[in-house]
Amino acid sequence: MANDLANTGNPVALQYHGITKSFFGVPVLKGVTFSLRAGHALGLVGENGAGKSTMMNILGGVLVADGGQLTVNGQAYAPKNPKDARARGIAFIHQELNLFANLSIAENIFLTGFPKTGLFAIKRKEINERTRTLLASVQLAAEPTAKVETLSPGERQLVEIAKALAFDARVVIFDEPTTSLTARECERLFALIEKLKVQGRSVIYISHALEDVRRLCEDFVILRDGEVVAQGPREDFSLDRMVSLMVGRKLEQLFPARSMVPTATALLQVAGLSQPGVIENVSFTLHKGEVLGVAGLMGSGRSETARILFGLDPAAKGEVTLDGKPFPNRNPAACIARGMAFLTESRREEGLLMDADVRENVAVAALPRFAGRGLVLQNQLQPKVDAAARSVGLAEGKIASGAVKTLSGGNQQKVVLAKWLLTEPSVFILDEPTRGIDVGAKAEIYTLINNLVARGAGVLMISSELEELIGMCDRILVMRRGEVAGVVDKAHFDREAILRLAFGGGIA
Amino acid sequence: MSNGSTLIGSTSTPAAPVVVAAARGARWQRWLRGDTWVLALAVVYFLALLPVAPDLANPENLQLILSNMLPLLVVALGQMFVLITSGIDLSVTSTIALTSVAGAGTMVWPALGLTGTAAMLAGAVAMLLIAGAVGATNGLAITRLSMPPFMVTLATMMFFSGGAIWATRSNGIPGLPEALATVSQEGFGFVPYALMLVAPFVVGAHVLLTKSVFGRRLFAVGRNAKAARVSGVPVARTVFTAYVLCAAFAAVGAFLYTGRLETGSPVLGQRIFLDVIGAAVIGGVSLFGGKGSVAGVIYGVLFITLVDNSLNILGFSSFAVLMAKGTVILLAALFDAMRARKVAVRA
Amino acid sequence: MACVVGCALGVASCRKKDGRLTVGVAFETLQTEYWVASFDIMHAELERNNIRMLEAISDGDANRQLEQVKSFVARRVDGIIVAPKDAHTVIPMIKAANRAGIPIVIYNRPPAPTKAVSVTIGTDNFGITKNTVEHMCTLARQSPAPAGKKHEALLVMGDLGDINAIGRRDGFDKATADCSDVLEVVSRVPSEWNQEKALAGVTNALQAHPNISFMFTSSDFLLPSIMSALKAAGKWEKAGHANHVILGAFDGDATAYEMLRAGYLDADGVQDAYFQSKLTVQAILDMRAGKPVANVKLDPGLVVNQSNLGTEASRMWGAAVAKQKAEKPQS
Repeated sequence: MANDLANTGNPVALQYHGITKSFFGVPVLKGVTFSLRAGHALGLVGENGAGKSTMMNILGGVLVADGGQLTVNGQAYAPKNPKDARARGIAFIHQELNLFANLSIAENIFLTGFPKTGLFAIKRKEINERTRTLLASVQLAAEPTAKVETLSPGERQLVEIAKALAFDARVVIFDEPTTSLTARECERLFALIEKLKVQGRSVIYISHALEDVRRLCEDFVILRDGEVVAQGPREDFSLDRMVSLMVGRKLEQLFPARSMVPTATALLQVAGLSQPGVIENVSFTLHKGEVLGVAGLMGSGRSETARILFGLDPAAKGEVTLDGKPFPNRNPAACIARGMAFLTESRREEGLLMDADVRENVAVAALPRFAGRGLVLQNQLQPKVDAAARSVGLAEGKIASGAVKTLSGGNQQKVVLAKWLLTEPSVFILDEPTRGIDVGAKAEIYTLINNLVARGAGVLMISSELEELIGMCDRILVMRRGEVAGVVDKAHFDREAILRLAFGGGIA
Repeated sequence: MSNGSTLIGSTSTPAAPVVVAAARGARWQRWLRGDTWVLALAVVYFLALLPVAPDLANPENLQLILSNMLPLLVVALGQMFVLITSGIDLSVTSTIALTSVAGAGTMVWPALGLTGTAAMLAGAVAMLLIAGAVGATNGLAITRLSMPPFMVTLATMMFFSGGAIWATRSNGIPGLPEALATVSQEGFGFVPYALMLVAPFVVGAHVLLTKSVFGRRLFAVGRNAKAARVSGVPVARTVFTAYVLCAAFAAVGAFLYTGRLETGSPVLGQRIFLDVIGAAVIGGVSLFGGKGSVAGVIYGVLFITLVDNSLNILGFSSFAVLMAKGTVILLAALFDAMRARKVAVRA
Repeated sequence: MACVVGCALGVASCRKKDGRLTVGVAFETLQTEYWVASFDIMHAELERNNIRMLEAISDGDANRQLEQVKSFVARRVDGIIVAPKDAHTVIPMIKAANRAGIPIVIYNRPPAPTKAVSVTIGTDNFGITKNTVEHMCTLARQSPAPAGKKHEALLVMGDLGDINAIGRRDGFDKATADCSDVLEVVSRVPSEWNQEKALAGVTNALQAHPNISFMFTSSDFLLPSIMSALKAAGKWEKAGHANHVILGAFDGDATAYEMLRAGYLDADGVQDAYFQSKLTVQAILDMRAGKPVANVKLDPGLVVNQSNLGTEASRMWGAAVAKQKAEKPQS
């Protein structure tokens, strides 16, 4: 294993040497050692809780290490606060962007760390000029005076990067930068990262999207339980190996094999579903025991179709048939009563009661099944709730813990799944079921989906991760601009073909 | 159902009873941690004042505290339903005034020719009907027209208050049946009849909140209306019901207030709104919705009533009473916020 | 916190066993000068009799007042004085005091007919108003309206739900009927005890009847509204001026006192707050002593006018308020 990265050419920009950190006696980092070369990107991968955030917080001066040493450009570096990090040229592009929406781009960029001369007398013209140059270098076509709130998430990220360039950051850290970006915006971001490298800057790239990491980074550091389990150049790591190092199992296990093949019995038939400006003439059939994937770019009508099916949004035209019977006036309660379930795209906004505990969340959709004369039949409900929570792999301690907002993203998603499993759905619509979840939890969710179809349910799975759709689905329906662009059978699954359908043949 | 049990019920059966029992214990503890501090605070306050105001503890005064609590309690419980949905009903004081006037008017209406208990019951029915109409007006405006509860109930507050004053030309309605005064002022031994009237509403509110489907849905709506809707909760119907309940409970309070004063008054209860909200908030009902319990509201009402009573007993200037009450509500809210933060950190 | 409140503010009840009597005073409002002055005078009168006062103000909330009176009862005070919101809601308070055998005096607003026992100290609204308006009629006779015409008169009424307002209206009607040879009532403005309504009503009346030269208001606290309306009509002049309106009012507050002194106001019917407080405290003491006390005692009041201002000002409570204000100018 090529441990000594410093020998391969470029000088070392940043080095971790035996960094340790514990919280209340629990070790979180157990002597982390690695180097980052100038002009290279380093992919930092690991499951949630592996210690990535702690590592980065130490680098950013948010936390102080218990032991070990950091060096930046060969000089010892012991940051006490984020200002120190800035002074040594270290910049963070956070998952939740730290911009003031009501201020202009230029104001955001120069809010902190403006050259001393302008501290009191802000030289607007100079600021705007410099901002213009910076925006050009990140290829963002926007006026420096434009308010940040008028920008898309992807554009805001470019502003964050411009902000880092404003103080000539030498090390730029990206933490899950693509979660809220469209495919086009991702491409633009990746091009920009390549440019940063050419300029001699170093990049630390943290993401669950391993494909992206492989594409961007020359060097990898794999972290598990606070330890570096492997590091080295890209060539040493196949996708399969990365995953098995992260979780201690192999990639095939990520998409577990399904014993059952879909039946020919139609479960959900959709014919000519339309809503002006949203979707147009959407038709498809979901069979018993089938996982039907839905691919498409953001805004292609994937989630919108799901919301209309579940009666959350209106449809102007079209027919929906469930179990052979027409289902015209849909609302969520009626859908649930007829065996439909809908895991929404946004857990926080539409999936969970964040302040309520696990049991309350699991019970809420199935209440009508456990009611007698308006009262909740607690004796029947409680064991079923706990069983449902256990069945999705929630630990006993998590089930009894307080508000779900204290749980990790993966466990939160399991709570949502448990809620819907308790309603015993025959048609389960999943919108981005694995977004922001670590690999281990993903695998558990895939297993649950397989169990569900094995029981004869049909699953409509919307996802932005093509790997996931290809790994899980029997057929994939591709949407573009509110219409069905095509349906691909398992035998013809092909990344490129699907992307071509999604983009309309232009790109891909 | 059988399908479901094979999916999720199979692994767990032997351990389940133990787990349920443990969970009950945990819930009991959480319940204690949630509300009893208010009760403790009230007791400490009472004991601290006892040396300087021994009259606080004389039986007559204890009975007075109880009878002062009852109408406020039933009104605050009604408001609790609305607060849990993260709404607010500002019109509750006008509901009290309007139902007082309507009820008293019915009781003395010559055309009905009723007297005694029959007149009282007819008045009570009229009060509930009027309250139902007020609650339905609020509920419909909020759910069907999607207007903010604050604006809707501010408008209905002014409208119904004006209506009550207009209908009576600002005069009280005297000459109410003796039975009404008896029910609201007297009792069976040490137990006031008013307590017997309020108790079913207290128990009912508790059952609704903790045992009913409606209660679960109420909390779900208050915590996250969007998520509740996706989960099949009939959000509009739940919110509508909360406002109707609030008005109906206010009518019960109005019945007692009217009986105590032996007069139907168009300005009844105009100034109790802050007591209602103060009691609910001290009792742990969150103004942001999704949080509240009957026990907490009882303790909150006890505390507010106790502060009022004790300062009267001590003979303070009324402005000092107002200031002290404001301070106490603020301190209680502050303490609650600190406690909430601590619990959150520990979790 | 409770301890601090208790120890710092609880001094009053620590001294319970010193043999002094304790009387609870519950006022419905302290919103106008008359009530504030009455409250202060009552306090002074109780002090003078070596009686401790417990106070309670209910801000217009009858239920709160009931709770306050009941807490006086629970505290076993030696007497209760209530200035109630209205004639009906006070009855349960009287009953509560009766049950506990505590003497109760109703101040200023008599209760509706009831079996419950209390003493009411009130103002002879009818008599005082009649005397005041009769004095104004005398002035009207002395300066007759031009060319055989009668004086045109205006009355600003109070809230007719208030028994006091009705008494004042009736006193005005009686006195003006007796001198209908020199004046004619052309306008009655309902104020509902509201300054804005009084201003609007008087302004409109002056437009409809520009020759109004005789005006009576049922309360002094509406005088500023009347002054504004008269100024706008060019009729705010001192007695003796051709445009002077013969002006009378009721209460005896500081504004009325100043306007009398300045010569704008001709006569003011004064409620003798000092006398009423004396009557009230005496009634409590008499009831405690078991002496027979009349159910209602009315203060005959007095009329203060330009000619007797020098001698009678000391009985006008507003004069004392005005002097206090002069001594402690607001910064």
